[in-house]
Amino acid sequence: MSKHEILRRVREALDGRPAVDHPGDFESWGTRPEEATFEDAFRAAGGEIEVLADLSEVATRIGELAGDAPGISVGAGVPEEFLPQLPRLEPRDAPVGVSMARGAVTETGSLLMDARDGRRAQLLPPTHLVVVYRDTIHPTLRAALDAVVPDLPSGLGLHSGPSKSADIGQILVKGVHGPGRVVALVVERG
Amino acid sequence: MSHPRPSGYADAAERILREEPGVRDSVTAATRTFHDHRTEAFRAVDEDAWRSWAREVKSHLLTHLDAYLEEAEARLTENGVQVHWAETADDALEALGRVVDQHDIRRSVKGKSMLSEELGVNEYLEGRGVRVRETDLGEYIIQLLGEPPSHIVGPAIHKSVDDCRILFHRELGTAPDATPEELAAAARRALRREFLDADLGMSGGNFLVAETGTLALMENEGNIRLSTSLPRVHVAFVGIEKLLPRFADLAGFLQILTRSATGQPIGNYVSLLQGPRRPGEPDGPDEVHVILVDNGRTNLLADDAAWEALRCIRCGACLNICPVYRQTGGHPWGWAYSGPIGAILAPGLLGLEEAMPLPYASSLCGACADVCPVKIPIPDLLLHWRERAVEEGLIGHTEALVMKGYAAMATHPDLFRKAGSLLRWIPWKWGGRALPVLGGWSGEREPPEPSKASFQQLWDEGIE
Repeated sequence: MSKHEILRRVREALDGRPAVDHPGDFESWGTRPEEATFEDAFRAAGGEIEVLADLSEVATRIGELAGDAPGISVGAGVPEEFLPQLPRLEPRDAPVGVSMARGAVTETGSLLMDARDGRRAQLLPPTHLVVVYRDTIHPTLRAALDAVVPDLPSGLGLHSGPSKSADIGQILVKGVHGPGRVVALVVERG
Repeated sequence: MSHPRPSGYADAAERILREEPGVRDSVTAATRTFHDHRTEAFRAVDEDAWRSWAREVKSHLLTHLDAYLEEAEARLTENGVQVHWAETADDALEALGRVVDQHDIRRSVKGKSMLSEELGVNEYLEGRGVRVRETDLGEYIIQLLGEPPSHIVGPAIHKSVDDCRILFHRELGTAPDATPEELAAAARRALRREFLDADLGMSGGNFLVAETGTLALMENEGNIRLSTSLPRVHVAFVGIEKLLPRFADLAGFLQILTRSATGQPIGNYVSLLQGPRRPGEPDGPDEVHVILVDNGRTNLLADDAAWEALRCIRCGACLNICPVYRQTGGHPWGWAYSGPIGAILAPGLLGLEEAMPLPYASSLCGACADVCPVKIPIPDLLLHWRERAVEEGLIGHTEALVMKGYAAMATHPDLFRKAGSLLRWIPWKWGGRALPVLGGWSGEREPPEPSKASFQQLWDEGIE
């Protein structure tokens, strides 16, 4: 059995080696999250930010951002009242995807995308519009991970701005596989 | 073309320098950019606190590896993941082959994974008639060219924009003067079809959290998100050293990895995966397999000095700063991992004899140790493997003889003084050219005249 042989070899290798203690929790030495804002961090990662004061503005703004798109694909967790009157398309055919973020991280400028909302709408359309409640924004990655660990889905994505690559001659290109445009709509919960 | 091996290092390096001077330009420019961004990213944080913390976590993990491997397997199994243990590359490929047979897989996509390079996954699958598409843009470029990766993080950094223009014109029909944006858009269209048609998605694993059975993957393009989300089967190759004890440890490691690799605060996309699609989830793979790979790692763990190399998180910072790596890129190293880290992993994972002369592919300048996010003492370990090579009689007789002679001289003061005074009377201007090694150096340089008195003589005469 490979498992027992590998474990036997690990134990043999470690025989007599002094054990090292875990140094304790990671602290964000130096990133000074208390002075930063999620908006700045997400913009720095190449994302766009819309701050909406009222829940009733969300559907209108999403409709405007969708422009003349023939339809949108929608994540399972997006409330109906956030959605404009547009045809629903499969993610692979939709120019715009709309998702609900589970939360966000100021320290890294990341949106937390839950698999229960649907991964395809988060990844396939070239434009991704993401609604995030202000009160789910965590100051540090550590705080965000602590908040999600009691309830982990099959997949959790941290999306920090649009898809990027510099693999062609070190020149930065957006939208290589994932969305090339990502807009975070930050709303105050009513 | 014969399969590249470490033993071909010198010839391969010489060939690149003579025949492909553009490689040095591309690699040097790209690695300097990576390194500058890294420097900037660490200016904002307490670099020493971050690196010391990361070193301690990884050393803790490795000195308790048996317990964490068992914990990881238990959590993965609870999450519905099928776990395979592979002692060798062949074991890992057989495990993959069983999945391929069981699901009658014909088409596959793969996110960038250096372990899959180490195992030879693409050749294996193609040999069984399974289509494999690399989906990272850089990996896709070199797959089309039939080349191995040149860098752990940027596999195609040795290629210029013009190289890509020519390639994509031939393969994808883009205009000969296409912009990088147009080239990337053409690759996106071609690879989107591959993602949607594939039955199998493959990945590596940046981290595997024992506490939760979480497979953590980081990238910038979204191809790993797609490879692990769209096909019905996902297979991940994970080296046994890639574990982390706790979920909260990811907070440090995800940030340290990208700050070290590209200088970003975090990769554009992080996937934290806990197994197959669950009831109520709209999509995701039906089946997830994790192949835990030893393939020489327990040999390295058993070495009382070199085990520290297993802390490596594959950021590539040591490649980016290495003056030797910058001249040629990674191809001369002749296997998956190149640069300083490749030179100290190779003797452990391949065996020292097979890895020769890689521990010598370094000037021992020590810059790599200054940037390593987990503080691996790379120069010490290069020397460690060189000592072992001498002990095992793996280096040429000439060098062994010279070293022995020098040792005899340096431990006999009288002999040392006599030899020193002899060297000072050699007419270096023309005589130096006739000497081995020095001849090559002085061929294009003006050698300095040596002082007529030795340091000891000057000291005795009372120099300040």
